[in-house]
Amino acid sequence: MIDVIKLRILQGDPVIHDVRNASLPKLFRGLPTIDNKDCPSGCEKCIESCPTDAIKLNPVNIDLGLCVFCPLCEEVCPGKIIHFTNEYKISSDSRENLFVTNETKTILVEKASEKIRSYFGSSLKLRQISAGGCNGCELELNALSNVNFDLGRFGIEFVASPRHADGIVITGPITHNMAKATEICFDAVPNPKIIILAGTCAISGGIFQNSKETERKFLKENKIDLFIPGCPPHPLTFINGLLDWLEKK
Amino acid sequence: MISLQVQNNQQFRINEIPFLNKNDFIDSVSEGLSNGFSMIGLFPIDKNQPYKIISLLADPDSSSIHITGGEFPKDKLEYESFATQYLQTNYFECELAENYGYTPIDHPWLRPVRKQNIILGNKPYQFYKLEGDEVHEVAVGPIHAGVIEPGHFRFQCHGELVYHLEINLGYQHRGVETMMLNAKKNQRLILAESITGDTVIGHTYAHCNVVEGLTDTQISLRAQVSRSVAEELERVAMHLSGLGGVANDIGLAIVSSSYGRLRTLVINSLALLCGSRFGRGLFIYGGVRFDFNDENVNQIISNLEIVRKDVSAINKFLFSSTGALTRFENTGIVSGDLAQQIGLVGMSGRASGIETDTRIHYPYGAYRYFPVSLITLPSGDVFARARLRALEIDESLRFIFEQMENLSGGEIKTDVGATNPSSGVISIVEGWRGEIVHIAFTDNRGEIMQYKIKDPSFNNWYGLNLALRRTAISDFPLCNKSFDLSYSGHDL
Repeated sequence: MIDVIKLRILQGDPVIHDVRNASLPKLFRGLPTIDNKDCPSGCEKCIESCPTDAIKLNPVNIDLGLCVFCPLCEEVCPGKIIHFTNEYKISSDSRENLFVTNETKTILVEKASEKIRSYFGSSLKLRQISAGGCNGCELELNALSNVNFDLGRFGIEFVASPRHADGIVITGPITHNMAKATEICFDAVPNPKIIILAGTCAISGGIFQNSKETERKFLKENKIDLFIPGCPPHPLTFINGLLDWLEKK
Repeated sequence: MISLQVQNNQQFRINEIPFLNKNDFIDSVSEGLSNGFSMIGLFPIDKNQPYKIISLLADPDSSSIHITGGEFPKDKLEYESFATQYLQTNYFECELAENYGYTPIDHPWLRPVRKQNIILGNKPYQFYKLEGDEVHEVAVGPIHAGVIEPGHFRFQCHGELVYHLEINLGYQHRGVETMMLNAKKNQRLILAESITGDTVIGHTYAHCNVVEGLTDTQISLRAQVSRSVAEELERVAMHLSGLGGVANDIGLAIVSSSYGRLRTLVINSLALLCGSRFGRGLFIYGGVRFDFNDENVNQIISNLEIVRKDVSAINKFLFSSTGALTRFENTGIVSGDLAQQIGLVGMSGRASGIETDTRIHYPYGAYRYFPVSLITLPSGDVFARARLRALEIDESLRFIFEQMENLSGGEIKTDVGATNPSSGVISIVEGWRGEIVHIAFTDNRGEIMQYKIKDPSFNNWYGLNLALRRTAISDFPLCNKSFDLSYSGHDL
């Protein structure tokens, strides 16, 4: 017993108390900024360098739903107009908001409808489905429940059974072999229910967007409520996205 | 045996490989296997010529890899299975059968690896079935009761006791190997990072080694040391995570959360170095992208000082708790003999007394100059697998401190040229789970025409199968966590 208390004392106070304003290392690659400058004519270096074709020109814009945050475009840009900041609040309820241009200052999350907030505002239980995820997103979602991020204090938890869940969180590009299971799992969640896509692979297929082994029909047939970009998304991106969406303090 | 002998990361020409006729090939490979070599690959060099395959056998005593080629009659891709005598080859043969239509005659257990419909001709897979009074079957998955990857487990039980477990995988199959061939050059590293998100460093390390081998690139000592430090950080982080998982499975919440807290410190240290908590973006061909400086070195060292101090207190508590030891000891045993036969690798193998560690037996990068110690335990149970991880954390921390306090100067990037044509490179890296093998071959234009990946999980899932025999089904989560295997690394 004494030893357990000693361990508890050793634990100290590791919780991130202010998840809204915590800061990340300066090298962390979060929201990119694009300077309002003209590109040298004919320069397509950023496009050529991008492994997932997340960049388009005229004007330069980056799709955070496809971006794997690898800094290649930042490195090759001759005018240094692309720069990854350590801003981690990049979740959104709309796919369109994930396109970053030179006008983007922040990524907005529109708060959820009155109905969703009244249903899930004080308690949200989620069932996670790994559908081809590489275990990167899964590790970060697991980290949400550790002593540092402690998602449970906001009334948001991951549960074992879809029957106990209010929605699903999908990670991975949805492989052929998981397409059916994903559907069955979602069907097992009682109404009303939400769908959250965590990570670049889930949002767009990411690096696996052209893989012949994926089957993304499910996403076309259902409304997606929240997009959480990142490769993998930082736990703070997930927490802040959900808190903004559910309009929690 | 007749073979081309190469070393880890050494470039060779494809035409140096001896291609034997089918019978000589079988004899030669059998001879190698009877010498105790371990198989790390069995596949064709060129997908368009599936009848010409190579076998790769690794010999830890001479630190060399034996490559033997075999040419089969085009219309008759069948042979007497090696697995009837050498169990370790069984899964490689399943993979060969699934991907290229070979028939291993008398194979003890031909089963699908990633694609259900190929071997079975669209028939559903028939699980082995136990019959009798009080016998029952438990099916779990693909979706499990937690935030983890998918896989299907089928238990044949008699009361609480498991008599047989079958593990059916492939749900995570994204086609990584095929994509590696068709990928643009700048996509391959990202693909390598996404093989398994928990072993980003291990897989990118092996991938970079392969590409650097094919392009005759020598990287600087500082870059090599940075890579090794990153690899050891990953090892420490995942071992902490695994120990936390094992503690969680026996209900020791305080221990589990303590390990979790320390893991956060370690992966945040990786983020201080490269911006990603998993080391994404750190590796580039020819070196590393981000350098150590006084600021991040000091921060990382102070983080790791806390880890070193606290982890010893937590280990002491866990490994002296009678409750924990009762659950750990004699649970999920894989004996040394069995482990040798089925070819367990990495930490699960070392926990069954197999004395192989890629960093020592096939040294690469900084490990050639700054060796690590080999750690093994004999008992092969959950205790050994957990305890081994605790000991490896200590050794990795020693290595990291030693390197970070004596960083050599120099550049961190070297220019990389074009890949040589008609060549091949085999790279083995000791990821935190065990040996990661990446193999690449180029065609006569220097384009990559074959890319094979073997995650340690490919070998070790079979170990989990057998560990469960005569174990209570309620101990499954504990056994599973003690092996801590990858689904995506297996499924590719």
